[in-house]
Amino acid sequence: MEFAAHAERVLDTAAAKGADYCDVRFERTRSERVEVRNGDVSGLADERSDGYGIRALVNGAWGFTSSNGFGDAALDAAAARAVAIARASAAIAAYRIGEAPSDAYVDAFATPVLRDPQSVSVGERVALLLDAERALHAAPSIAVGRAWMDLWRTEKFFYSSIGSRIGQTIVQSGSGMSALAVGNGDAQMRMWPGDRGLYQGGGWEIVEAAQLRENAQRTGEEAHQLLSAPQCPSGVMDIVLGGSQVSLQIHESCGHAAELDRVMGWEANFSGTSFLTPAELGTLKYGSDLVTIEIDNTLARGIASVGYDDEGTKSVRADVIRRGLLTGFETSRDTARTIGRSSNACVRAQSWRHVPMIRMCNLNLLPGTTPFDGLFEGIKHGVYMEANRSWSIDDRRLNFQFGCQIGWEITNGKRGRMLKNPTYAGVTPQFWNSCDAIGDAASWFAWGTPNCGKGEPMQTGRTTQAAAPARFRNVTVGVGYDA
Amino acid sequence: MTPEERLALAERVLARSHAGGTEVTIVANNQALTRFTHESVSQNVDEGDVSVRVRAIVDGRSGVAATNVLDDAALDAVVARAAEIAGFAPRESIPPSLAGPATVASPAGAFVDATAPASPGRRAEIASAVFERARDNQLWSSGYVTTSSGSITIATSNGARMAFDGTDAGVNVKMNGSDATGFAERYSNDIGVLDGAAIGARAARKAVASREPVAVDPGEWTVILEPPAIGELLRFLTSHFSAETYSDGSSFITGKLRTSVLGENVTIFDDYAHRLNPGMPFDFEGVPTQRLALVKSGVAENIVTDSTWAKRLDVPNTGHALPAPNASGPQSNATVVEAGVKPIEQLIAETKRGLLITRLWYVRNVDQRAAILTGMTRDGTFLIEDGKLTRGIRNMRFNESIVAALRACEFASVQERTGGYSYSLVTPAVKFDRFRFASTSPY
Repeated sequence: MEFAAHAERVLDTAAAKGADYCDVRFERTRSERVEVRNGDVSGLADERSDGYGIRALVNGAWGFTSSNGFGDAALDAAAARAVAIARASAAIAAYRIGEAPSDAYVDAFATPVLRDPQSVSVGERVALLLDAERALHAAPSIAVGRAWMDLWRTEKFFYSSIGSRIGQTIVQSGSGMSALAVGNGDAQMRMWPGDRGLYQGGGWEIVEAAQLRENAQRTGEEAHQLLSAPQCPSGVMDIVLGGSQVSLQIHESCGHAAELDRVMGWEANFSGTSFLTPAELGTLKYGSDLVTIEIDNTLARGIASVGYDDEGTKSVRADVIRRGLLTGFETSRDTARTIGRSSNACVRAQSWRHVPMIRMCNLNLLPGTTPFDGLFEGIKHGVYMEANRSWSIDDRRLNFQFGCQIGWEITNGKRGRMLKNPTYAGVTPQFWNSCDAIGDAASWFAWGTPNCGKGEPMQTGRTTQAAAPARFRNVTVGVGYDA
Repeated sequence: MTPEERLALAERVLARSHAGGTEVTIVANNQALTRFTHESVSQNVDEGDVSVRVRAIVDGRSGVAATNVLDDAALDAVVARAAEIAGFAPRESIPPSLAGPATVASPAGAFVDATAPASPGRRAEIASAVFERARDNQLWSSGYVTTSSGSITIATSNGARMAFDGTDAGVNVKMNGSDATGFAERYSNDIGVLDGAAIGARAARKAVASREPVAVDPGEWTVILEPPAIGELLRFLTSHFSAETYSDGSSFITGKLRTSVLGENVTIFDDYAHRLNPGMPFDFEGVPTQRLALVKSGVAENIVTDSTWAKRLDVPNTGHALPAPNASGPQSNATVVEAGVKPIEQLIAETKRGLLITRLWYVRNVDQRAAILTGMTRDGTFLIEDGKLTRGIRNMRFNESIVAALRACEFASVQERTGGYSYSLVTPAVKFDRFRFASTSPY
């Protein structure tokens, strides 16, 4: 396996300096991006980054360092630095946070790819985006059209002092577009697909699945139509959320709330804590009986699907919410131990440069049985909302307010006229307990988010929340526009 | 990496390029951060990288390639790739350009010798002082101590040779009690001014003072926002002063330059040289950054530009480009709000009934054009009655236009540096006559 000699040197040096445990993660990444704005190629980039991150454990405390120096001296210095940092951590520790793992793996993983993005020329990529962006200008009001794509490849090699040797090749791709319409003293934006594009694990087939050319004109037309659409009403009413918005709702109100490091206060000063506690496992009625949310880091096309996480733990499926009850958390080895469980492999680092930490990976709301059109049945007066444009939730993940790019009135079970500026607000468990219908498997989709922020220093994570559209009863609608 | 080493590397890269024009950016960063919770270190990191970014201009088109592998083969490859991919783009409607020679001085205090080599032991000392204040008050602490150094060199085939070295340091503390929390922070280029005990004590005082918080009714309130709170709002305001948002119509000042848009006591600069936040004196195209008034006495004075937007709008280039490739347009990122005349204590004393807000959280645009923002209070929100802080209150969600709020406001007399995710700015506390809250949290 590549980097074996480098790894041996790092692990030996760390041991010699007094580390109780050490692991080193070498990564070679390639990030390609194309972006088009109003007919110009505004961004065309190809970036390579190679380096490694070292974790060392001393007396139950961790140290981490990273470097892109591959010479013997640089490897030795980095290993020694990781141990010195761990020693400094241990010197002021009130309790032991870390323990050396006992399970080692020798294995390999590769993202299933139907078409290697490298087989698609830069010219073909540019042409696709130029075509789509051109078609966004469906009306004179479209002031800005944008289209973009990202193609990411990461080769990752994990070695630990207890014998793990894991090689992984992870391929992730995404593309999207947006139209900004300006007029009538207003500005309205529509995006496709979802609210930031389609991002999944896989190759060029993910870009093709976004169907940018096929949806560009409609996207532009909707942005234009929003300028003259009536304002979404304010009040308490039933709502139906599109799949990508349900995905965002899972992300913000369940995904982050169920990160066990947050629950334990490790993120308290920045991202916050959580209203969930380990004492409520098996008893807290988080949502209605229809609501089952699970970790699945083996999900096909999940952008966070890998063989092993960045602690060297094998990917699993695990419950977080089962039929409405809180049943688990997203965990690392250290945090899982505090609740008497094993890690469910939710530890990731943004890159070789960053320290591994608990990240939301693939966290999915299982589909229901209601066909999409059936979600509107029984709603006398409500709103259907699609595609997030505004998201805010408190630092315990309870009080939230979200806005969408577009809405449609629902009257007597039928979808009616377009509405602009739809927003809704609520409190997490009450909201999920008001869910009385979830779309069926035909409407279930692996929505990926490429830019989830957490940690200090801040890290950007890639996460999937697969979801179907869903119906919620008696929700506060129109907040922010009701004065 | 010294400035001389970076320049030599940049010259090596430039010499390899046969493109019509070439821009080379060398960035060397190192950040160390000790993060703690419950009086123990939960993460302790030291992260470093050196990268080379090449923007090649070929017949009116541009391509960007980057690498952090610095051997000859990798440098050959990155130069070739930048030129190769440029060839796949159509000619840009605004021909790309490169900066030429210019001289600009780094602001005083941007690099402090003691900060860059600070050890994990030094960070642990500062954290330990915070831990002591937590124990003294039967609280638990969470936060971080950080030091960093950042260096950049930009060289172009047009003759630009720009270099900057800076340091930074910070302490960020949240003190946690059973039913209340408190927050304090201090950022400086100089680690020598970081006082863990003082920051810990300030956060602890807020946590203690806000115990047993009560709910108050949402609706309209007079509020006083301390710098960490107003900072979270200001970072959304400054995007309206980008040439791009101004031009595309999504800014609240579109078509309103040289007109009154905010209260006449509001003056906001973009100033990389301010003594509390000295930073890079040129932009990522290697163009000297102008120190500008964005708003002067309530009047929208300037927008910020880069080379593309300056040409597109036929206005001067103010030197506010982001790293290439950049499709987001130029950005103001050195906000400085001019101080008022009254200390914050006087603003509180003059408030019959209102709220003092320490910090805001998860602020987002609800409506970009109207500049309506939403977010939550956190870590120390207090009721003001008859000019006195009387008790802690539960957190609340606001929905308010930052523009409307800044039409009826009064800034305090002391500026502070505040920071958060992706921003760092200088502002005094502010009093808003009217601020709308939509709901109350259960804590």
